[in-house]
Amino acid sequence: MYGWIWRHLPGPPAVRLLQALMLVAAVVTLLFLVVFPWVEPQLPFNAVTAN
Amino acid sequence: MSHALSPVRGSPRQGTMRTAIRGIGELILTAGLVVLLFVFYEAYVTDWSSAVKQGEVTAKLDDTWRNPRGAVDHPVNGAGIAKMYIPSFGSDFVFTVLEGTGPDTLAAGPGHYQSTALPGQPGNFAVAGHRVGKGSPFNALDLLSSCDAIVVETADRWFVYRVLPLRGESTNWATAKTTRPQCRGVEPLPGRYSDVVGKTIVQPTQTEVIAPIPGHPDQPAKREIGLITLTTCHPQFSARQRLIVHGVLVAQYRKIPGERPAELTVGT
Repeated sequence: MYGWIWRHLPGPPAVRLLQALMLVAAVVTLLFLVVFPWVEPQLPFNAVTAN
Repeated sequence: MSHALSPVRGSPRQGTMRTAIRGIGELILTAGLVVLLFVFYEAYVTDWSSAVKQGEVTAKLDDTWRNPRGAVDHPVNGAGIAKMYIPSFGSDFVFTVLEGTGPDTLAAGPGHYQSTALPGQPGNFAVAGHRVGKGSPFNALDLLSSCDAIVVETADRWFVYRVLPLRGESTNWATAKTTRPQCRGVEPLPGRYSDVVGKTIVQPTQTEVIAPIPGHPDQPAKREIGLITLTTCHPQFSARQRLIVHGVLVAQYRKIPGERPAELTVGT
């Protein structure tokens, strides 16, 4: 998977590294802003009220 | 790279196999990293965003206290209504309590159950708060002892509540409290309140803990005692039960600018 991505990134290694880091940053941002906030309410320790 | 190192070039079928296995391995490693990242998110990122929201409601509440002309006389859902201090958690432990117990409200701070009494009123001022993440205001609720102060500040008053005698403490209360000056005014509650203790663990469905007379939701009292009830999840990281702390109103002071009640000092 990672090898496939690396082979398909264009440019010399330095440029590829930069692109790879940007991809990682994009994935982490997506996780923090979309995925985790969505998963979180389904977790048990958020239930603090008696109802 | 392993292609270059392998002594024998495998058949195309072995190649696909290898790619597939490597792919699965990479997926598992990635999943592990995502889980670690989620732990980091829960432990730090939710605290940061909750701290920002808590700061905003606190600033807004301070504004309405300074300039009460725009204030409304009934609490608005999601807005700050009071500040809560628990000196035994540290002199810096203060949270603005918001109106309502919805998830968005609780992400900004402890929330007041809307149907329950307001601070200082007869009845039960009931507040829910997170124990894990989102600022975890009620993280250490299980560490409270009897007579620990829970101080609530409103626009013009300070209300001092103290944790009721814990289960088993009430039998020898008269002798036990003499050595502890902070227990002045704290007594096991009389009558229909007699089964209300400082700390209990209940099922999530036991809403009677926030009733005016905790445990007796169907019995309105003629003269209700001023109580405070704090609820959070229990055990930590679980939703199986709820940890409940009950306190009784022992003192109230009119606010004087620049002065704070002595109960805010740790150890009193």
